[in-house]
Amino acid sequence: MSSRRSYLIRRVIHGVMALFIIATLLFFLFRLGLPDPTAALITEGLNPEERERIRASFGLDRPIWMQYFIYLGNVLQGDFGYSFHYRAPVADIIWERLGNTMILMLPAIVLAYAVGAPLGAWLSWRRGSRADTSGIFVGLMFRSAPMFWTGMIAILVFSIGLGWLPTSGMRTLPYEASGFFDKIFTLDFLHHLILPALIVALYYLGSPLLIMRNTMLEVYGEDFIEMARAKGLPERRILYAHAARNALLPVVTQLAVTIGLAAGGQVVVEVVFSWPGLGREILNSVRTSDFPLAQASFLVMAAFVVTLNLLVDILYTMLDPRVSFK
Amino acid sequence: MIMSKIIKGLQEPLRAILGDRLALIGLAVLLSIVAMALFAPFLSTHAPLAVNEREEGSLMVRSVQGEQVRWELAPALGERTLNDAHYVDGVGMAVGNAGVVWRFENGEWTLQDNTLTETLNAVAINAEGDALAVGENGAMALWRDQQWHAIETPTAVNLLGVAWSNPDVAMVVGESETLWQLTWQDDDLDINVLESPVDRGVTLNAAAVDTDESVWVVGERGLVLRLTPEGDVLRERLPTNRGLNHIHLAANGAGLVVGERGTILTRESIDSEWLAATSPDSRAMRAGWITEEGEAFAVGRSGIILERQGDNWVLATTEEERHLRAMMVTADGYYAIGSDRFVNRLAPPSSEHWFGTDHLGRDLFSQNVHGSRIALLVGFLGAVLVVLIGANVGLIAGYFRGRTETVLMRTVDVMYGIPFEPFALILVLLFEPSLFIVILAVSLLTWRTVARLIRSQVLSLRERPFVKAARVAGASDLRIMYLHIFPNVMPLVFLELAIIVGVSIIAEATLSFLGLGPPQSISWGGILHNARLSGAWRDAWWWNLPPGLFIMMTVLSVFFISRSLELVANPRLRARR
Repeated sequence: MSSRRSYLIRRVIHGVMALFIIATLLFFLFRLGLPDPTAALITEGLNPEERERIRASFGLDRPIWMQYFIYLGNVLQGDFGYSFHYRAPVADIIWERLGNTMILMLPAIVLAYAVGAPLGAWLSWRRGSRADTSGIFVGLMFRSAPMFWTGMIAILVFSIGLGWLPTSGMRTLPYEASGFFDKIFTLDFLHHLILPALIVALYYLGSPLLIMRNTMLEVYGEDFIEMARAKGLPERRILYAHAARNALLPVVTQLAVTIGLAAGGQVVVEVVFSWPGLGREILNSVRTSDFPLAQASFLVMAAFVVTLNLLVDILYTMLDPRVSFK
Repeated sequence: MIMSKIIKGLQEPLRAILGDRLALIGLAVLLSIVAMALFAPFLSTHAPLAVNEREEGSLMVRSVQGEQVRWELAPALGERTLNDAHYVDGVGMAVGNAGVVWRFENGEWTLQDNTLTETLNAVAINAEGDALAVGENGAMALWRDQQWHAIETPTAVNLLGVAWSNPDVAMVVGESETLWQLTWQDDDLDINVLESPVDRGVTLNAAAVDTDESVWVVGERGLVLRLTPEGDVLRERLPTNRGLNHIHLAANGAGLVVGERGTILTRESIDSEWLAATSPDSRAMRAGWITEEGEAFAVGRSGIILERQGDNWVLATTEEERHLRAMMVTADGYYAIGSDRFVNRLAPPSSEHWFGTDHLGRDLFSQNVHGSRIALLVGFLGAVLVVLIGANVGLIAGYFRGRTETVLMRTVDVMYGIPFEPFALILVLLFEPSLFIVILAVSLLTWRTVARLIRSQVLSLRERPFVKAARVAGASDLRIMYLHIFPNVMPLVFLELAIIVGVSIIAEATLSFLGLGPPQSISWGGILHNARLSGAWRDAWWWNLPPGLFIMMTVLSVFFISRSLELVANPRLRARR
């Protein structure tokens, strides 16, 4: 037990270190690429004194190592600075956008895995058949088609052609939200969610499908399956109760990794559907040279990925007793 | 030695691909796309970024819905520019390039046979239904007894205008102040070359007959001449010095003259003065038409149609950008006719443009063909780079273990914390978008998977007896790593190579779609970026569909290949009976 605990502690330390390294890299990358990040602000015809004042407010008049520690200190306190573009605290903007992204991505990913994993198990059972081949074909096809393209085609067909679903955005404007739950539990919102969520789900479908199928094929070779057969259990029971359960582990791992990447992974879907999420925000901040927002969005995304990767490892120790804690 | 090992390592994956039907199809598709990229300049039908133009016998028809006046494009009259049109008593005629003549009767347009192939610039119909068409290099033809008769002319000068003063006498004008009076007596034709009172080689653009059978002629530099029925040529003064392009006189003497820089002159009857009107558009007016009721229209390049409403001229809204060259008003219809070469924007697929054209009139088939180059370049270069980094990191980490492994694998962990698209966005924010940045972004973030996979394989391989035997035999670390262990992870390396080619192609397309690809280059993602940016993608399906299909086909073929390679790397996946 102690080996397990020390393993987990080590993993947490590694995760924190990875985040620290990413934050540091990010800081120096930005300083390398943008020696004067206030350049975007200063073009608006400010006089030199005001310019200096702004530079000082970002700590740009101090040596670079001082700037670095100020930056780290601020990040640790959750202070990401002030957005040039929105003229508002970056943290507020990011939390709202992150929420928007997650209410799109989570249902989509869950849907993809809920459909993909059982389908993959079934395909493995029918391995070599026509159903198997076409299942793999369809899964790989949606995996190969770029989401921005399938999204555009879907909008063309279902929104513009048939007029069934709205083309873009999260809700019909103008809209006043009184609270978060009020915001998402409306028919109008669901109406807007269907198309982008479906596109994301179709893209992700191939991954649980193929992983499940391949792991199942490996599991079929194990002795306990032979044992179950020898006992005369029905195929269906062997498939779902014995094999599928053991093949689920890599799928769960992939699910967690996918959710981790979801925070910022799908910029294109948010762009195509004008979904006000974190991915679109980072693209906008790049376009408007809003470096505090870009830097902070990236850091939040990275934190998400690192945290979910950590969760995967913890999950692994709980689900698979064979994992060694070396 | 090293070559033979590598060839041996290649054999099994190759056999796997050739043995699997899906992989074979994938290979065939991939090879044809590679061929497309290699031979792109020969395969593309047009220069991919060149603006394409076309001409056609454009016909725009006026319709009134309530208060709203709309000019809409009717089915084109052939593929040749129509330069002039005339209409008398239920019969209309339009003439154009390559000698085409369209006849209008009972609301129907029909193409007429004509022996002339020269460009025809003007046509006029007389009271008996005869028509005279004139064109470049002295081309002239008479429509009489239901057929066209070519007419020999004294000089091969460009003829620009024609008018009948009575059913037997016609006036033809053209470049260099050409003024010919054509007189028919029975079937004999006499061409009388008249002297111009100006005699400075001015081009005469158009002619029209007045109620007193005199003929008005307008030309460059505001020159206006009037030929009396007696055969005298008089110089008239109109209140303008601008070049005049066209004159039209109604049967009751109402008149309209149009010219350069929005010049419009009108008169109410033969006795009244010519008055200059204020034009709402300052571009050149090519032609005009005035009716006995006083309705007047002027047309010009870029779909300009001006209508007189009361004392004012207003610009009618036309969406099309055809270059209009003639105006014709019939008993119950209004027609604006053109068109010079215009930019062939957003054309649907045709035999000329197989995949249609984009919003700038550029050929989309050629763009798609050229787009394969960037996709494959980034795909293969990125993948080779990734596998080179990933395989070596994995090999070194797995073989040496210890501190080396810790450092390398911690680096991999950090790389796993970086989301791809945002990272590429940041790179572009900080540096200029270029092909190098795209490849860098792709390869920096995908080698992590390869490194992890190779390392885990190497970890088990290094404990195998053949490695130990090599070590005992005194082989160096490098030799063991690259000659003994590496060939055994080759199937895995090929598998990863194939997968990453697919991933890189999608990554490149994604970046280009977001407008972060190298500027001035053509890629599939970039075509979709343009489509989205222009807003025309909502209608122009031919713009959206092919690039995505190409991306999908390429990536899918690579995935099919990778699937058969997977069977080599992991034999347990083979379907068993």
